[in-house]
Amino acid sequence: MNKIWLSSGVLNSQLAKTGLPLWMLGLGADLLWADMNRLLAFLFHQGVLDEQFLQLQQLQDEASPNFVSEVLNIYFHESEKLLTNLRGLLMEREYKKMEIHLNQLMGSSSSIGAKRVTNVCVAFRAATHHTNRAGCLHALEMLEHEYCYLKNKLHELFQIEQQRALVAGVRYPEQNQNQ
Amino acid sequence: MAASLHSAAADFPAGLRVLVVDDDATTLRIIEQMSIRCRYRVTTCTEATVALNLLRERKGCFDVVLSDVHMPDMDGYKLLEHVGLEMDLPVIMMSGDSSTSAVMKGIRHGACDYLIKPVREEELRNIWQHVARKILNENKEHDHSGSIEDNDRCKRGNDDTEYTSSVVDASEIAKAPKKRSNLKEEDVELEGDDPTTSKKPRVVWSVELHQQFVSAVNQLGLDKAVPKRILELMNVPGLTRENVASHLQKFRLYLKRLSGVAQQQNGMLNAVPGTIESKLGATGRFDIQALAAAGHVPPETLAALHAELLGCPATNIMPAMDQTALLQASIQGPKHSHAEHAVAYVQPLVKCPSNISKNVPPSILTVNDTSSGYGAWPSSNNAIGCVKPNSSVERVGIQNNNMLMDILGHQQRQQYQQKQQLQQQSLVHDQSCSINVQPSCLVFPSHSSDSFKAVNSPASVNQDCSFGRNAAIDYGLFSHKSNYSLIASQFPGGDTKAQGVLYGYTVPSTCSTSSSNGNIQQLQNSSITFGAARPLPSFLPLSDRQDPYGFKPGDSLNQVCLRNLGFVGKGTCIPNRFVESEIESSISDFNHMKVNVDSSGNTLKEEPNFINFPKVSHPIIERYPSRDRSSLFTE
Repeated sequence: MNKIWLSSGVLNSQLAKTGLPLWMLGLGADLLWADMNRLLAFLFHQGVLDEQFLQLQQLQDEASPNFVSEVLNIYFHESEKLLTNLRGLLMEREYKKMEIHLNQLMGSSSSIGAKRVTNVCVAFRAATHHTNRAGCLHALEMLEHEYCYLKNKLHELFQIEQQRALVAGVRYPEQNQNQ
Repeated sequence: MAASLHSAAADFPAGLRVLVVDDDATTLRIIEQMSIRCRYRVTTCTEATVALNLLRERKGCFDVVLSDVHMPDMDGYKLLEHVGLEMDLPVIMMSGDSSTSAVMKGIRHGACDYLIKPVREEELRNIWQHVARKILNENKEHDHSGSIEDNDRCKRGNDDTEYTSSVVDASEIAKAPKKRSNLKEEDVELEGDDPTTSKKPRVVWSVELHQQFVSAVNQLGLDKAVPKRILELMNVPGLTRENVASHLQKFRLYLKRLSGVAQQQNGMLNAVPGTIESKLGATGRFDIQALAAAGHVPPETLAALHAELLGCPATNIMPAMDQTALLQASIQGPKHSHAEHAVAYVQPLVKCPSNISKNVPPSILTVNDTSSGYGAWPSSNNAIGCVKPNSSVERVGIQNNNMLMDILGHQQRQQYQQKQQLQQQSLVHDQSCSINVQPSCLVFPSHSSDSFKAVNSPASVNQDCSFGRNAAIDYGLFSHKSNYSLIASQFPGGDTKAQGVLYGYTVPSTCSTSSSNGNIQQLQNSSITFGAARPLPSFLPLSDRQDPYGFKPGDSLNQVCLRNLGFVGKGTCIPNRFVESEIESSISDFNHMKVNVDSSGNTLKEEPNFINFPKVSHPIIERYPSRDRSSLFTE
């Protein structure tokens, strides 16, 4: 299992505190696994993610070992484009186009289980539908905030996953223990 | 597709060929992965237009289409319509929008399922059932004539009608499924027995063919696309303009339906004042339209339903469809130089409507227009009593003219100008013109019969499909027609006769129909006129003008009878005749009713003819050689 989540491949902040990779400190894959689960539970609890995200994880298999990261990278890439467009469209008061963008963002967000982003999208779409500019502005800010939060948290999750993969890879190179 | 399924029957859902269309790459990737997990063979596509092309290019390479609703390049519903129109594939819509209206819209457009995003693997795992259901239904359709799918279709058609609350619609909904199977059996039998049908190459609108068609239409622009040009652009051997014409209508109807006009029109229908005819007409037209719009409605079904609604035997309808084919075919007649000359003077009368219809953009082919136009029917009828029967016939001619407008366009314009000139000239001159016309008309069919035959023989099922629409459309032009009839009435004398002649012209091969029709019209006119059952305000001048022409009531009746009887007799001798008689009988049904109501005495002579028509048609419908017409006229 060589899961390289992000191309940067850096084991950063958390490890940087000790100056050594976690696995060198004796922290095993199990610990990282626990970390990941804790973070996920937290995100679920906050309503940032929903069970669709678990579906996403379950879809990852040997045939497509990087499926989750692949999908999330697509999602971030697309969403950032959409968010930029949304801001521009709001300035131009193109509510109809905004609605189309929001439909797409809503679809993709719900598909990855980004529950809160989806919810904000719904509110945003309603605001565009009523050409409620103030509501749109507010919703856009909410959306950007939620999106950033989601992205950061998922990033965090990635990193833990990466470390875990590394640890697992180092310790049990010939086994696919984690899946 | 069935074969592929049989071969892979062992692990059926596996290997299902799925096309996923979504502009959202994230969703697309997830569904792709899910499909792989389900062991489907999945193809993904981010653009609806690309997907459509893919579907067209690789016909039969997909079992099911999974499409997003909101896409920037093409609405998911539009894609759904196209798929429904061009290929018989189950389409599953998916959207984050779970509102009832959105789902309902999907259902109305013929989606077999509507998945709410996020799509879950369990849902995806189940989509094979739509493919299986479809295949099973297809098999059943092969085995038995009345199939589940057929009923589904019917329901789909009725779904469209569900917003109309009129009693007529309700009863129609209740009746339609019941009678359908019987009628369908008949139709199937007929088809089997009909040697000419089996000989005729049925034009199956394959995906490739339709693609060519669509690209041709796109090239021309939908408004300017006329069958002939499309045919030229398509350049497909064996394809006739009629095939294209009917397909074009079908296509337009689909496009129209996309724009969601359907509901308004339903509402409008209810507002139509309910004379017997109008109700019948409304239901017949509406139902057919709805069914046709729902797509996949086989011509037999259309025919059967139409027949049922109009209270005619099913056989009446089939020929009626052919009638349109004939009309269309016959309109080609004018291409012959002789025809043009011969027609020149007669033409004005026909031209009026055709020119009027020309002004109407192609989009008039919607029901919306239709219904409004339809609403005008009774009123025009009342206003000008004798106009109605004429116009019922004219409708067909006009409509065809409309379809083939551009073909005849220049001619007609010229002729229209001529006609205007004629109008400006003295009335006497007009009369002489109309008199001149008649003989030339009689000569005419001999030319046209050839062209008719050539054109008509490859007439396809699609053609038949178009009839329902023709009918619908024709009504739409009605309001114009009343205008027309007013104009026509400005021709003193020659009026009625000219019409007969005129039909002889426009419908060269169906000359007898038209002429006899004209007679019937005359008869009816006269009967109405002289029976004078109703107050007909603007009608009096018309009758005055008819009189100069030399029709006393008795005369006209006699004349009519003679002609009609002669017509019937010929009809029996000459198989093709049934075609005309069919449409006539359906039309005459109206007339008949009318006449009975209006003037009982005069109709007596008329009735035998009407009764005869169906009789004639039944045996004849089975065999349908396209030879004949010229003999009729030379006789």
